[in-house]
Amino acid sequence: MPENQTEATPPAITASNVDISNCDREQIHLVNAIQPHGALLVLEEPSLHIVQASANIGSFLGLPAESLLGHTIDALLGKANTDKLRTILAEHDLTNILDRLMTLPKLPHLDQWFNVFGNRTDGFLVLEFERASPSSQEQERVGLYQFRDFIQRLQRTPSLAVFLDVAIEQIRHFTGFDRVMAYRFDLDGSGEVVAEAKAPDLEAYLGLHYPASDIPAPARRLFALSPLRHLPNVDYEPVPILSYASGLPQPVDLSHSFLRSVSVMYTGYLRNMGVKSTMVLPLLKNGHLWGLISCMNHSAPLYLHYEQRVPVELLTQMLSLMMGDREDLDQYAYSTSLDIVLGKLVSLMGREEGFHQALTADKTNLLTTLDADGVALIADGKLSTLGNTPSESHISLLADWLGQQEAAVFASHRMLDDFPATRDFLDTASGVLSVRLSRAGSDRIIWFRPEVLHDVHWAGDPNKPVEISTIDNEIRLQPRTSFALWKETVHGQSRPWLDCEIDYVTRLRRAIFDVIVERAKLLARTNAELERSNQELDSFAYAASHDLKEPLRGIHNFAEFLKGEEGINLSERGLKRIETILRLSGRMDNMLESLLQYSRVGRNALDLQAQSINKIVEQVAELILQVMPDRNITIDSQPFLPVIHCDRVRVTMVFHNLIMNAIKYNDKDHKIIKIGCDPSTDPVVFFVRDNGIGIAPNNHEQIFQLFRRLHGRDDFGGGAGAGLTIVKKAIQRHGGHIWLESTLGSGSTFFFTLSSEHIAESERL
Amino acid sequence: MKEERPLLIVEDSDEDFEVTCWALRQAGFDRPIVRCVRAEEALLRLCPVPPNQESGSMMPCLVLLDLNLPGMNGLQLLEELRSVEQPPTIPVVILSTSKNPRDLAACYRLGAAGYLCKPLSLELYASKMLKLIQYWFDAVTLPEE
Repeated sequence: MPENQTEATPPAITASNVDISNCDREQIHLVNAIQPHGALLVLEEPSLHIVQASANIGSFLGLPAESLLGHTIDALLGKANTDKLRTILAEHDLTNILDRLMTLPKLPHLDQWFNVFGNRTDGFLVLEFERASPSSQEQERVGLYQFRDFIQRLQRTPSLAVFLDVAIEQIRHFTGFDRVMAYRFDLDGSGEVVAEAKAPDLEAYLGLHYPASDIPAPARRLFALSPLRHLPNVDYEPVPILSYASGLPQPVDLSHSFLRSVSVMYTGYLRNMGVKSTMVLPLLKNGHLWGLISCMNHSAPLYLHYEQRVPVELLTQMLSLMMGDREDLDQYAYSTSLDIVLGKLVSLMGREEGFHQALTADKTNLLTTLDADGVALIADGKLSTLGNTPSESHISLLADWLGQQEAAVFASHRMLDDFPATRDFLDTASGVLSVRLSRAGSDRIIWFRPEVLHDVHWAGDPNKPVEISTIDNEIRLQPRTSFALWKETVHGQSRPWLDCEIDYVTRLRRAIFDVIVERAKLLARTNAELERSNQELDSFAYAASHDLKEPLRGIHNFAEFLKGEEGINLSERGLKRIETILRLSGRMDNMLESLLQYSRVGRNALDLQAQSINKIVEQVAELILQVMPDRNITIDSQPFLPVIHCDRVRVTMVFHNLIMNAIKYNDKDHKIIKIGCDPSTDPVVFFVRDNGIGIAPNNHEQIFQLFRRLHGRDDFGGGAGAGLTIVKKAIQRHGGHIWLESTLGSGSTFFFTLSSEHIAESERL
Repeated sequence: MKEERPLLIVEDSDEDFEVTCWALRQAGFDRPIVRCVRAEEALLRLCPVPPNQESGSMMPCLVLLDLNLPGMNGLQLLEELRSVEQPPTIPVVILSTSKNPRDLAACYRLGAAGYLCKPLSLELYASKMLKLIQYWFDAVTLPEE
């Protein structure tokens, strides 16, 4: 390639240069020719000068093109009709649509009525002329009553399939075509004949699939644009559009033209099928091209006048409207049941702790009602499965791949194509529907459908949709000539996922997100409340220690003054009363002190260090024995207690209180306390055992309550009744538990664990 | 004879003040005792404005400070005393009901010379006071004015 040659824009592909490689891009709307059953004029506005005319204008309208080009439309219509046309044009938008403007009464030079249609395109006005129906009775061929009966029959149909059968049978009846088919497009552009009404001698096409190239994308676009396409004679001679000498160099866009000449690919294709005439109407569902009503005549060309076409067009538009409802109705009952399941799952999620319990329970779960054979739930680092699913390793392989997909909701019924690694587990996962639950994509739900081996009946070999023939030494694309049934067994596919199923899982995903967000909010709120109430407790305890103790001390002091200064003057009873005041204020002081200690155990972060429990126990024992030198006490500790990560002050408090209780609530002369642990468990279980009075089983809970006492106030050395409450709180803060075994009269054993790895980050120093 | 410098007690409660005085006298303390009921008052007395000006009254030799006071509390007073240009040289001993380790730590951090927890029993209080005055007035030497 020479250096200076840059890549040029490829030329437009039109009928003159279409071939095997580019038929999908042929610009059939720029064909610049029309079919001979009408005539076409292109006019400038507002002058209504004729700048282009179809070559058949002379034979069709009685005036030769040469006498029209460059003149205004007056030359053809006469002044009265032109004025009427101008009025009508002023009232019609005509962009992106071909509208019927008027019925032209008999022109002076012709014994014929015409229907005139208009479309504004590329800044020009395109006028199309068709002969009006010769018989006025044609207009009544489809009367209102027939129409009404037809609609009623359609409404009574039980399913979409029957609905389409009734519809096309009726259209065949109205139009007289010898074959009418309903054709449905798949997402990939290939299609299937889903209903057919035909003359008995014709070969049936029902159930045949057609590859996407049979009705290429440009044709599908044009079908969707126009409410009706009609090719009265497949073997027509295209009529060229002639330009005025100084007229348009470019062909006008005939996308909305009714007369537009069709693709040579299309006529060739139809000829191969033995079709002489066609009429095609789009079936739209919610504005999208769902399929086509395709009418064919095999015996002879067939031209339908405008007056005959209008009812069919109306009927098809009605079908489009009703069909949307009809297809929705088929899914409605199913979709309603799914709604109910969704409601139940949401309420389960509200009640249950985790998603696994909520979504995989026996009664209502992720498989309920939904047409899937298995489901996998991956959440909180755990996998749960129901029904038939691939193995755990295959699920994780699939989940990794799904994690790389953009969409939050993924649906495929041909996993073999999408993710070839599924070839090893197609029996369970040919179809996959999945929703992502976490941003990272690791948490998700995956539903599975098994492989369905089904036969597709292709019209000809789908892998060779076209044939090549040599005409005039030029290699030309020929639409395939063989329409013999071609069977293909489809592998690696499941039943496709329905819109309502995808909608259901999308809503389920949203509901799960709502629950997650709601839980996070609730947790944050609870934490904030907890923190606030802890702070309140903190200031309460401070008040108790400080503010309440001060006046209490005053009471105590002044009672003492009274006793000291006036004691000799007081009666024995009076003296006893003062002693009572002193005793009670003393007890209250103890209780306030305990409360303060208790609040201190809960407050402030834990200072976690490796601590030798042996050392702690040794120090506690030494301290206790020092203050009670006169009692017969043996504190016997195992020599090898472990080193544990814990808060030294609080764990010291635990041992101190437990050992003090073991001594206090002990009526034996020789009080024996054994301290040890079972290192084989995780976490290690410590114990403090005594030979004391024991605790009745029904009191095992009460002893841990603040200020709850089992004995008289002054029995067993009094005490405020907060010791075990403080112990329990200290152990709980270390992520541990405390429990006891006891035999009344012979002793108790308190067990507890300390598992610092379970301590929340916020609790640590 | 040189007039003896007084002991300053910062205490809002009349009853507590009476009990403290009683305990001091029990322990044989015979110096004059002056009292401030508010921390602000004590601050003025310890740090007169302008400084070095005789306020007419003698500087105390030792301060016994209660923590729980109306308005400025004991901790805040300690803080104030530390932050003035010329902090007084007089030791401040805390008298408090609170055994809260946080309070203890805070007081010592702010320069308290001691921390005495007021016990419930008068007898115990008197014996603690005896030790206190033995320490400050026999064992150690207080700074000159």
